[in-house]
Amino acid sequence: MTEMLGNQFFMARKYEDALRIFEKCKEKGELNKNIMRKMVVCYTQTGKIQEAAKMLLTLINEDLDFVLNTDPVKDDCPCSELVKEYESRLQISVESFDFLTSLGILWLYCDLNKSVCYFKKASEIYPDNSIVNSILSKLMSRQTLSEKELNNN
Amino acid sequence: MEFNKHTAEEILDSLNEGVFTVDKNFRINYFNKSAERITELKRNEVLGKFCKHVFNSKACYNECPIAIVLRQKKNIHEFESEIHCPSGVNKPIKLSAAVLYNGNEEPSGGVISFRDISDLDKIKRKLVQNSQFHGIIGHAKQMQEIYTLIEEIADSDAPVFIHGESGTGKEMIANAIQATSHRRDKPFIKINCSVFPPNLLASELFGHVKGAFTDAIKDRVGRFELANTGTIFLDEVAEMPLQMQLQLLRVLQEGTYERVGESITRKVDVRVIAATNKNIEEALAKGEFREDLFYRLNVIPIYVPPLRERMCDIAPLADHFLKKFSLMYKKNISEIDDAAMDILMNYEWKGNVRELENVLEYAFVRTPDGEKITSSKLPVSIKQKVSNKINNNSFLFNDPEKEKLIRILEKHQWNKSKAAKELGIGRTTLWRKLKKLNLVEK
Repeated sequence: MTEMLGNQFFMARKYEDALRIFEKCKEKGELNKNIMRKMVVCYTQTGKIQEAAKMLLTLINEDLDFVLNTDPVKDDCPCSELVKEYESRLQISVESFDFLTSLGILWLYCDLNKSVCYFKKASEIYPDNSIVNSILSKLMSRQTLSEKELNNN
Repeated sequence: MEFNKHTAEEILDSLNEGVFTVDKNFRINYFNKSAERITELKRNEVLGKFCKHVFNSKACYNECPIAIVLRQKKNIHEFESEIHCPSGVNKPIKLSAAVLYNGNEEPSGGVISFRDISDLDKIKRKLVQNSQFHGIIGHAKQMQEIYTLIEEIADSDAPVFIHGESGTGKEMIANAIQATSHRRDKPFIKINCSVFPPNLLASELFGHVKGAFTDAIKDRVGRFELANTGTIFLDEVAEMPLQMQLQLLRVLQEGTYERVGESITRKVDVRVIAATNKNIEEALAKGEFREDLFYRLNVIPIYVPPLRERMCDIAPLADHFLKKFSLMYKKNISEIDDAAMDILMNYEWKGNVRELENVLEYAFVRTPDGEKITSSKLPVSIKQKVSNKINNNSFLFNDPEKEKLIRILEKHQWNKSKAAKELGIGRTTLWRKLKKLNLVEK
């Protein structure tokens, strides 16, 4: 089982199959940023939200720009479609911690500010969740940095 | 010649098959000229894009050929699929796929070669529609009996033994048996036993394990394993070495075999259709073919008659081939003039239907669009042989009654009732005349 097969499953939006392959890569110590970026999405789509948050934290600690610079077309990222689908459910769903965390994670691939907004909401429900808090802190620092850069320019 | 990247690209661009490669993320990183022609896409439009966005095929989601190779760890060939072109046309294609590995033996990409089979598909469909029985043309009584037999054995798994001269269409009979059987949706694997050297045939039929012999660098599945639950067609079975015949006998008797170099006994459920053009009685008498195997294979024997024993099929076969060539060569030639037909009817056809097809293709190619095929367009060798025969039997073409009869019979595709009606005589009288003129099928 190889990363390439996992990539194909991901491309075909077979998240469970892709996750099964990527987890084997992880077991063999063959994780890389590409796999991790896809695994985060797979975790959200298979209901493993805390696993997704944990892996996202590892990834953004390593290279936040790698996530922020994700291109929906060039990187075949499904997040822009997924967030639309999730937000359409906002009207009817209870805004649970997992639901808001998922939205925070998925928005990070598309828009930093929206992501921060959903992570803040999630944090309001469970203020003691260390992973979400760490993600939020990292993202807010980047927000501040970006704003400063904008003002300087 | 120095072999560099440029040379490799020139070679790939000269191929008639489309070739493209993808990296491990399934982004296209090579696209040859034929791929551009078949897909109607330009190289610079597709390079760097995900193949699923380019081909826009359902197969990308359900049966990606490279994913199949990755899962099965075995290259695939002749895999039928479809691509959606920007013009809105869906093109049927046949493809081969393989995975490319990096220095660490990890998959680093894939290569797909493919060809457009739209024309072949159309021709095949049209010809099958016009044919009498699963693509077989034959009005002769012997052929009608074969069709009936094939339908009768549709529910059976019993082995079938087809014998007949080379070029009589044994493979088409095997295709028809498989297509009418209850195993029609299962694998159908064909192998010509005469093309493999004796030492490789075992590996081809039963597979081998890594290290079984010098070139066995990895495990390989044999044809029997591939045919499991389906049908295997063993063409030229009488060319099989005696040792191999024994192994085949065991598969037929017990449904078990071992891969070369392995002691694990494997089970297989395969319906066997075998064929030979050899005189089997002679092969049995000489000890070249095992008697026990012959009886095992010969449960349902089918004899395919040579063309000279069913001359009444020449006209419909010629008609069928002209239709096929018209589609293939995009020329409208649908008739053969009387003189040319006389030659075809008097030739011995030792190469049978295959020879007739080749002769007609030669004449077809030489005939201008819209015209009839005349005797001048037939191969000289055929005309010479017929002319010698005519000289030896000078009565043949000097007999106006015979000429008239042949002309009318050809007009009605050798339907004797219709010919008798036109001649204003009874069917029995016609039959007597044909017998007298030596025109009756054997």
